[in-house]
Amino acid sequence: MKGDLRRNGVKVATIAIALVITAFIISLLLLVITRPDPQAVIESLLSPEIRFAIYLSLVTSVISTLLCIAVAVPAAYALARYTFFGKSFVSMVLDLPLALPPLVAGVALLLFFGTTAFGDALASIGLVFVFTPLGIIIAQFFVNLPFMLRIMRSTFTDISPRYEYVACTLGCTNLQAIRRVTLPMAGSGFLAGAVITWAKGIGEFGAALMIAGATRMKTETLPISLFLNMSCGELELALSAAIILIVISVVSLYIFELYGGSAKF
Amino acid sequence: MLSITNISKDMGEFLLDDVSLDIAEGEYFVIIGPTGAGKTILLETIAGIYPPDAGSISIESRDVTFVPPRERNVTMVYQDYMLFPHLTVEQNIGFGLEYRKIAPEERKSRVGEVAAIFGIEHLLHRYPETLSGGEQQRAAISRAIVLEPAVLLLDEPLSALDGQTRERLRHELRKLHARYRTTIIHITHNFDEVFSLASRVAVMNKGQIVQTGTPEEVFRHPESSFVAGFVGVRNIFSGTCTTEEGLSRVSIARPDGTEAVVWSLTPHPGGEATFTVRPEDIMIGREACSTSARNSFAGTISDVVDNGMVVAVHVDCGLPFIAYVSRQGWAAVGAAVGETIHLTFMADAVHVF
Repeated sequence: MKGDLRRNGVKVATIAIALVITAFIISLLLLVITRPDPQAVIESLLSPEIRFAIYLSLVTSVISTLLCIAVAVPAAYALARYTFFGKSFVSMVLDLPLALPPLVAGVALLLFFGTTAFGDALASIGLVFVFTPLGIIIAQFFVNLPFMLRIMRSTFTDISPRYEYVACTLGCTNLQAIRRVTLPMAGSGFLAGAVITWAKGIGEFGAALMIAGATRMKTETLPISLFLNMSCGELELALSAAIILIVISVVSLYIFELYGGSAKF
Repeated sequence: MLSITNISKDMGEFLLDDVSLDIAEGEYFVIIGPTGAGKTILLETIAGIYPPDAGSISIESRDVTFVPPRERNVTMVYQDYMLFPHLTVEQNIGFGLEYRKIAPEERKSRVGEVAAIFGIEHLLHRYPETLSGGEQQRAAISRAIVLEPAVLLLDEPLSALDGQTRERLRHELRKLHARYRTTIIHITHNFDEVFSLASRVAVMNKGQIVQTGTPEEVFRHPESSFVAGFVGVRNIFSGTCTTEEGLSRVSIARPDGTEAVVWSLTPHPGGEATFTVRPEDIMIGREACSTSARNSFAGTISDVVDNGMVVAVHVDCGLPFIAYVSRQGWAAVGAAVGETIHLTFMADAVHVF
């Protein structure tokens, strides 16, 4: 057979694969959304159990995102700007939770807060993490910190330190230069990082299950609710939790793409 | 005014190695040198971005070696402007005035005044990304000069601009210096900037200052073959030097074993020596010139390169000379590659070191 410049087999085959997998993902999501009876979904969404799960998910994920920001922004700044002894080791360890299975992270957290003197000390002042919503927050924080950290680090690395140098010659202290110049310039990376960290936090299941358990109306976030209701055959309740999680994922991915164009994981 | 004494700083990739400089009040001091010579770290060390490993810096007789940048009254302009993108041009220029506790109305009038000098007052409400390169650099220089710094540091301020804008801004820098009499240190790769701006020039290489002087001194009388090569001296030869009749006599062995002799007015202690002649100081003619010039050679034209402004004639006299002549001059000589030609240059055009 003679070749023809207008026929590009590689192009056709690779695009076909991309299209097939796209269709597969969309049909899965549509199935979850369209499977239950709409009337039943609305009723489930208004049920006390789902309302509690939405409330608990929002509160825990917002708090864990704020904690991630408070820790990741300064740590990412240090990794982007300074060289120090053991930097590459520190950098690797900070990324470790990303590769660790969430269940393993959860077991480690459970042991730390449940069996050590440090955990007992925290419990004695009222900070009980085992089988409480506080455990959910710490699980989300631990698993999602690397996302915020990596996005902020690449954001800071992309901002030339010379902006700060100029600001310092114009009268700023180091901290003022960061606050007046670097942080505003890091705005979109910050927003993208916060949104993706929050969305991951809402969906966090494995580590939270280990340390906080799955207790109805106590540690029942949306993913836990999905798991509990699926286990005991309450399909409508399970699917309405799933639908909320899908909506949150799609919206936050959109915001991330909108603002995080230059930010990298 | 600005005294840098034995400053060393090792940044791994770049370094400063025992740099000393004294810069007088109101001087326009230009630093040239190849990429990686340490020019930018020198400026950043003067600005106080890093503490030096050794040595000291004083400004107006005050030791500022470990004083933070904000207390030095030194401002800095980079090649790529570094305007804060989230602030308007007006906020950028007024940025430093805020930290000097200048009231908003006064700030506004000072910003307006400086912007007027650079002709950017109509851009004050705009954001930097909407400005051309030349406009951005004018704003960056305004931001630095509005504080009336003791020393203004310019790190290749014109290198990112196109030819015309560069020329205009160079002119504006001269006006600016004439008006404010600020002490300026300016880094560049561009020799035009040296001749049109510098009262003195320093050449840096591998973290060291290798020569300092007026542009004329450095370009005419390089003190090392590195400086000679860097400032574009083309005819550079090594031989042995003796003194005869009050002149330096440099003898160079040609590849064929014969001896070429060049006379110079530069005094030399004798022994091994290098001499240079700038290509534009060499006269070319079909006949040997019977003038008072001490140096005359005959050779074969090996190549002719028309550079637009001048014609570079490569002549093989046993030593490979290059002479620059004007296009009219070259046409008048009417010679071609392969023909024999005579080179003549004065003893005072020969620099020996």
